[in-house]
Amino acid sequence: MKKLFSVGETLTESVQAHYTELAERGEAAAIAGAAVASTECCSTKEVYSSEELAALTSGVTAASAGCGNPVALADLKKGEVVLDLGSGGGIDCFLAARFVGPTGRVIGVDMTLAMVGLARKNAERMDAQNVIFKMGRIEAIPERDATVDMVMSNCVINLSERKDLVFAEVFRVLKPGGRMVISDMVVDRELPPEVRADRKQWWACVGGAEVKADYLGRIRDAGLERMEVLEDVRSMIAPEGDWRSSVRSITVRAFRPV
Amino acid sequence: MKSALMEILACPACKSKLNLESPARSGDDVVSGTLRCTKCGEAYPIKDGIPNLLPPEYRDRPASSLPGAH
Repeated sequence: MKKLFSVGETLTESVQAHYTELAERGEAAAIAGAAVASTECCSTKEVYSSEELAALTSGVTAASAGCGNPVALADLKKGEVVLDLGSGGGIDCFLAARFVGPTGRVIGVDMTLAMVGLARKNAERMDAQNVIFKMGRIEAIPERDATVDMVMSNCVINLSERKDLVFAEVFRVLKPGGRMVISDMVVDRELPPEVRADRKQWWACVGGAEVKADYLGRIRDAGLERMEVLEDVRSMIAPEGDWRSSVRSITVRAFRPV
Repeated sequence: MKSALMEILACPACKSKLNLESPARSGDDVVSGTLRCTKCGEAYPIKDGIPNLLPPEYRDRPASSLPGAH
């Protein structure tokens, strides 16, 4: 049942409620053994290849809500340690796990209990031994300093009201020379205040999207270097002048200095 | 949570190592228990195999009420 946010409910709580519902749909799909069409911002078919999707179970794909494919651009190697911020049902973790192999490991962090529960069940269903999921905040990552080779995130950081803390944490957990490859939503120009204030637009990964230059500036401010925008596509079809026309999905790579 | 993955857990508040206290296991899996920070002493529960490492200030308070939120 759709939970309507009540008076006084915080943005974080409303985001959690929305993604709890998506996790429940993912679990239902896993039990039914069938894919449920995702109503999220991007469908899995637009973002992942058919070969990648074939390797996953329906409980993984049905709860997916990414806007890019960071694993495909991360150049992962055997034995690497990967951290996924906002791991959801685990789709990107399971894709990354194939690249890093049994000597590597993949850690998924998510603030929504139902999503971590779904990801854990998905890991059992897929017999993924090198993947771990835990409940945590991306603004206070439960990882030790300089322990991660590659930090990824897929359409999640826009949901954070403290993006500055998120990128500072990414810098902290990355090994020197380690990289971040993230897909996220940004905008060309400031969103109208009524869009920004609309929680449904936050859930849809639009309300919290920042102006692209400001977003990239935060990454630089965190100390990450050699930043490169690997992908940059308009994500909504709308006439020029309509705020929707300024919404973009980008994939960015940056490194912690050696 | 696999016990072999203990080493990669850290306290979200002070980023120090965590010790596992009173674990209940099912095979290699830690189903429940408490993770306690070796430095600040904060305790984090493991329930249904899921370590809850939400930092104390986020457990009951949303990010928007943290200092400096906008």
